[in-house]
Order: sequence, then structure tokens, then C-alpha cells
Amino acid sequence: MSAVDATELRIVGFLCNWCSYGGADTAGVGRFQQPTDLRIIRVPCSGRIDPLFVVKSLINGADGVLVSGCHPRDCHYSEGNFYARRRLEVLKKFLPILGIDHRRFEYTWVSASEGQKWKTVVSTFTEHIHQLGPAPKINREALVLARTLAAKAV
Amino acid sequence: MAAKFIAHTELDAWLGRISERYRALVPRREGNAVVFRPFDPAMPVELKARPTESPKAAVFPRCEALLAYKYEKDPEEPGRVEVEVAERRDGVPTVVIGGRPCDAAAFKTFDRVYDSDRVRDLNYLNRREMTVLVSLVCSKPATTCFCHWMGGGPASTAGSDVLMTPVADGHVFETLTARGDEVIGTELPDASDAQMTEARKVQAAAEAAMGEPVDVGAAREKLLALFDDAGFWEAESAKCISCGVCTYLCPTCYCFNITDEKFGHEGVRLRTWDYCMSHLFTMEASGHNPRPTKAHRLKNRVGHKFSYYPSLHGGNIACCGCGRCIRSCPASVDIRAIVLNAIAAPAPRPKG
Amino acid sequence: MQHLEELKQQIRDRLPALDLVIGWEAGFDPLRATPLFMRQPDDVDRLIIGPQCVHNLATHLTGLKGRKIGIVVKGCDSRTIVELLQEKLINREDLVVFGVPCSGVVSVGKIGRKMGSLDYVEGVEFSADSVTVASEGVQNSFALEEVAADKCGRCQYNTPLLFDVLVGEPRPGDVVDDYADVATFEEQPLEARMNHWLEAMDRCVRCYACRNACPMCVCRDHCVAQSRDPHWMTQEDTVENKLLFQIIHTMHLAGRCTECGECERSCPMSIPLLLLRRKMNKEIDALFDYRAGTRIDATPPLLSFKVEEEKINERGW
Repeated sequence: MSAVDATELRIVGFLCNWCSYGGADTAGVGRFQQPTDLRIIRVPCSGRIDPLFVVKSLINGADGVLVSGCHPRDCHYSEGNFYARRRLEVLKKFLPILGIDHRRFEYTWVSASEGQKWKTVVSTFTEHIHQLGPAPKINREALVLARTLAAKAV
Repeated sequence: MAAKFIAHTELDAWLGRISERYRALVPRREGNAVVFRPFDPAMPVELKARPTESPKAAVFPRCEALLAYKYEKDPEEPGRVEVEVAERRDGVPTVVIGGRPCDAAAFKTFDRVYDSDRVRDLNYLNRREMTVLVSLVCSKPATTCFCHWMGGGPASTAGSDVLMTPVADGHVFETLTARGDEVIGTELPDASDAQMTEARKVQAAAEAAMGEPVDVGAAREKLLALFDDAGFWEAESAKCISCGVCTYLCPTCYCFNITDEKFGHEGVRLRTWDYCMSHLFTMEASGHNPRPTKAHRLKNRVGHKFSYYPSLHGGNIACCGCGRCIRSCPASVDIRAIVLNAIAAPAPRPKG
Repeated sequence: MQHLEELKQQIRDRLPALDLVIGWEAGFDPLRATPLFMRQPDDVDRLIIGPQCVHNLATHLTGLKGRKIGIVVKGCDSRTIVELLQEKLINREDLVVFGVPCSGVVSVGKIGRKMGSLDYVEGVEFSADSVTVASEGVQNSFALEEVAADKCGRCQYNTPLLFDVLVGEPRPGDVVDDYADVATFEEQPLEARMNHWLEAMDRCVRCYACRNACPMCVCRDHCVAQSRDPHWMTQEDTVENKLLFQIIHTMHLAGRCTECGECERSCPMSIPLLLLRRKMNKEIDALFDYRAGTRIDATPPLLSFKVEEEKINERGW
């Protein structure tokens, strides 16, 4: 079931093994209804997430990227998510210069027991992405279009 | 062979008509760079400034697919996987307008490698045969030009299909080959005697402005003699930053890399430009690298152009003297200076 | 000129204790300087200083680690050295820094646009605040301000931050950099911004001069861009691939880039790369109140954290 009556969009989720992946599992076990646009990739820790993962997803056509890890102070590796928080915030602030809508990327903290919260995060983020619609493609065709527009502006 | 004239005011319309029949690549200014792009009536053609890049990509693209492949499981026998391979040979009829005589001559360096008795590179030849070169005579040498050292000249016809000479209110086109005739056709008016005289004057003035050529033939032996002189090469390469500007802008550099890019069960085999300034260029699978430092790598670039290539290909130097590597080098490494330094260097003492 | 002689003398005095000293000499035309590696006292005669000395020579330092090196630096270059020392990529005790206060370097690109062509430069004269270029028999004079590199117009570090020898009068830098260029660019709609990068990156030939000229790009021969394992980027010559590389480059420089502008200067295809680095620096400065290359004892912001971040908004879902 998608968030709205529309075609499903592609959202990539990077979830830490210890909290958010468990949280998503809890939501599943609790049989909470969730939109299905999100594709989950499990990583050891949110600190493992190189911003390049997010950027590569967005450039290759993801409509949204969601990162979720343990709450600050609760990191399985003590401080992985503290580093992640700085990196991800910097990335989010950087995206606009590229012409990528920063709302297509979000990060949050969900613990393994917060099934209900996971449901809220997924539903809210998916709804946001649906409001934004499919992401503009970054490829040869987009380049040709960019050239045509530039030529008209001359 | 014909001589035609085209006025400045007519040039765009003519290029438009050429574009209907060919991919017409023309120099165009983008930022501070001048690059070759398909002609677009909305964008002015840049014939004054020298192109930053060489037109070699018209024939030898930065990246081309040689083949596409696909793995398929045998439905009867799931353990068996079949590979389907489809050869790719792309290419469209192309005219390059506004390359310089040095650029046209440079394709000869490619031809000796890719069209020899032993090797015939079909992808290269396919494009080469489809590409017509309309070369623009340089009316004045730049500070980085040394085509005459290499046996070329600002009005040299070597390698070109059409020579295009700037005159007061337009250009004179002189066709040199049948392919050139086919592109130019008969629609343009013949160049008048006065226009031809002027064109000859422009060509002669440009040739005269080049000054005396320097003979670098001695480099062939000398570079070999200096092969083990690590001190010489370390000093010469000290300022090099190991990027690929010189190689990628060079009209004669023809090296490539082959990689498979696989996505799931499908993939393409790509041929992409490679550059000998890169650490990976000679990296072996074992982890050993016979050219571990930039001194080794710059030695190869200079040695290949001025010594090894001439030894293999009848004395022809693999450099056309366009000067792009000098002009665009972030550290202003000057290949002329390296070659002259090598010739002037004291011969290293024989080993033992 | 008097400063040049003083500098030469200082270098000659110190050269015997060093493997080499890096400075600049005249390049292939009078507008272009080129790095000079001085090993013998005679080499020092060729040294020049002036607005044509654009290269950030600190780029060469990491490759020479372990040797005793002298280096001539402008104010902006000294920030690079501070950053390299902070990250322990070079050793302070192996380094002798010859500082030269700077009033700006020329942008060859800007002069080229004004002149139409730089193919025929015959002579160049520099005065305190102007540049006169002779080409094709014509002399053109430009105010240095007008043809200086963009970075010079917002420079606060005219005098090197770190030096062993300072030659010349220290120059105060009182300009405030408010990242107006980044703000102006971001006034465009998102689509126009993306189109701008697509168009610019389409010119990229993947020579990686931006990477190799960058003094902080220290992976050098082991760059993610050419690695097959991990295989983050393909060899396909696509605009998305090339853009991805620039984003990776910028992310790797987050909190480290000293804005020397070598990436943009060295790009043969004239791609405005520094804007991406500056956007990153703007955000780093706003979030962590940090400018790279100003303090040796600082920790880069992405290598540290606070349990409660003052300026990061926990969005709360």
C-alpha cells in the first residue's frame, strides 16, 4: 500500500542494525500498517554511513533517502551516531547547491522498541516524498534538456 | 579539388545545412574553455581562440562500449549459465570544422597504431572513415606552438580533408580529398583569384612567423641513454602533479583502458581513455607497479612520444606540437623544455 | 624587488640544511609562473615572486614527506600548511616556511576573457595595483583588483599565518567573507542549479587535475574514483558519474578545504568547482563556527562531536 493513491516511489532507507532495523522489525511484528515505498539497507551503525551512499542513491534515481540510527547516547558503539549526526547534517545542508531538494533526504533516530515511532517516521517521510513527487532524473536526457533551456536563454 | 569561398555572414547557415547531413562538430566557448560540440545555431562558433581540447574524441571517444553482455540461466539446467555477447560498433558520419592543422596531422599518429599490418582496430577505423576534417589555418603561432618542430606547420595540409583559410570577410575552403569534396559540395561560390591570393598570403605569413624549427631528432637516442638517470627525471618531474590534463588534451595520446561495468546480470565492456601519468596505468594484478613514481611516469610520457614511438613507427614523433599540454598544465610543465634538457644533459656514465 | 633579493638571500642561507626549497620561476610566457624546485644555490637566481605566482606550492608537501623542505608561501597557502600540520600529514620540524605577504594573485582566466586570447603574450608588467599585458603589439592595463582571483577579493589572510621567515611588510586583511557568491547562486530555482552543474560537468574530461592539484586530497594514488573495489564509480563517461565525483570530493574536504582554489584554477575545462567547496565551508562555518587552516591545535569538526549539538536541529518525528 502506498501512502497515497499513486504509483509507488523509490525511497532508500539506511538503517542501523542495532536500533532502527530492530524498530522496523518491531513495527512488522506489531502488524502496523506502513507504506511500502521504502527499501531498507541494513548497516552496522549510522556511523558507517558514508554520505556517498546517500548521494549515490539520489543521483541514481531514488526519490528519497532515509537514514535512521540509535538515539544519541544510545549507540551500540557508544559514539557512532554522534559522528553520523554531524556528517548527515552537513550533507543535508549541502544538497541545495546541487539543485537537489534537501527534503528528499532525512535522518532520524528510532530505537528497537519504538515500533510505533517507526511507523510514524515511515508514513510521514513517505507522505513528504509523495508530496514532492518523483525526483527529477539526473541523466543524459536531463542534460539535453538543460542545454536546450540554456540555448533558449541566450 | 576545389577552392570555395564562404562569407562570415553565411557561415552559420552553411553549418546548419552541413548539420543536416553530418554530425558537425565545431569549437564553442564554454566558460574559459573552448570545446568541440555539435553545431547549434543558437550558440556562436569560436574560430579565433584555439580549442582547449583536441578533436580526437570525434574519432576516439572518451568512453565507448565495445560490447554488451548478458548472463542467462539455462531453464533446463539452472547450474548452467549462458553468456550472450553483442558487439557494438557505433559511429555517425561526422565533420570536424575548426580543428587546427596540427590536430589533423595528429590522427596519423593514431593510424600507425590502430591501422597497421598486425592490428586493425575496427571500432577506431569505423569512426575514422566516417570523419571528415576541415582544418582551420592558424594565422599566427601562439607562444606554446611548436608544430614546425614536428614537421607540421600552421597551414600544413597533412591529414586534413579540407583546409580553411581565414581571409578578410570570410574563409576560403580548399578541398584536399574526395571526402572533402563531398562535404563542401558545389553549392558555394568558387573563391576568386584575389581571395586565393589573400589566402596564400595568410598561409605564407603564418609559416614565416613560426621561426626556425628546432631539431629534436637527437632525443630518440638521448632519452634511451637517460632511461636510468633517476636524478634527471626526478628534477624534470618535480612540479608535475600527476593529473591527466596533458594526456587528455593531447591530440596524439591514444592509450586506453578496458573495463567491464556490470549491473546485475548485464554489463558492457567499455574502452575509456587512460593516462600514463596515473599510478594505475601500469599497476599489475600482483600489486607490483613498474612505474611507482611520477618521475617514472613522466619519463614514459616524454620517452614514448620522442623515442619509443619513433623507433617503432619509422621515425615519426608522437607529438604534433599543438602546445595544449603546456598551456593547460596546472603546473606549467613544458614538454619542449624537458626534451631540450634531455638533449643537452650530459650523457650518464655507462654502468659498471 | 628588494623583497625578492631578501628572500633569495634567506633561501640561500638556509638551503644547505635543506633537501630543497620550493618557490616559483618564470613559466612559458611572462604571465605564467611555474613551480621551482631549488636544490643548488644557482637555482635560487631563477626565483620570482609576484601576482603571477598563483600555484599553491603546499600541494607538493605530502609527496615529499620525510625530506627537509623549504617552501615559499602566500597567506592563503599558509592555511594549507596549517591544515596539513593539524592532520599530521607533514612534520613541522622538516619544514622551513618562507612567508611572503600577498596583495592578490592574477586569474589567468579573467585576463584571458578580457584580452580575448592569451596565445600571444609578449610581456607583462606588474605594479602595486595593476597588470599590463602586451600582446599582438597592443598594451592592455588592468587594475589588479579587476583581474585578481576571486579568492583574493575576500582574503583575510594576506599575511601568512605561519612562517619561519617573513619577507616584506605584514599586510592586514580586514575583509569579511559573507559567502555572498554562494547565496546568489542559491537564489536560483533548484532546477536551474542542477542544470548549471549538468552543463558544467558535461565538459569534464576526468583528468582529475582538480583532485591532484588539491593539497588536501591526500589519498593520491588510491582515490575512490578509480577504485574497482569498492566500485563506487563506473568508468562510464556520464554526467551523473562526473557530478558524483565532485560531490565525493567536496564531502572529503568538508571542514578541511582552505579555499586555495587550486581545483578550479587547474581545471582545463573551466568548471566552477570552488563554489561547491565554498558552499560546504559556509555550512561548516554556520554549524560549527569553524574555518579550516586557521588553527593547528583545532580538531576538524567532522572528526569530533558534542553530545548536545547547539546548532543541529533534532527534528523530532
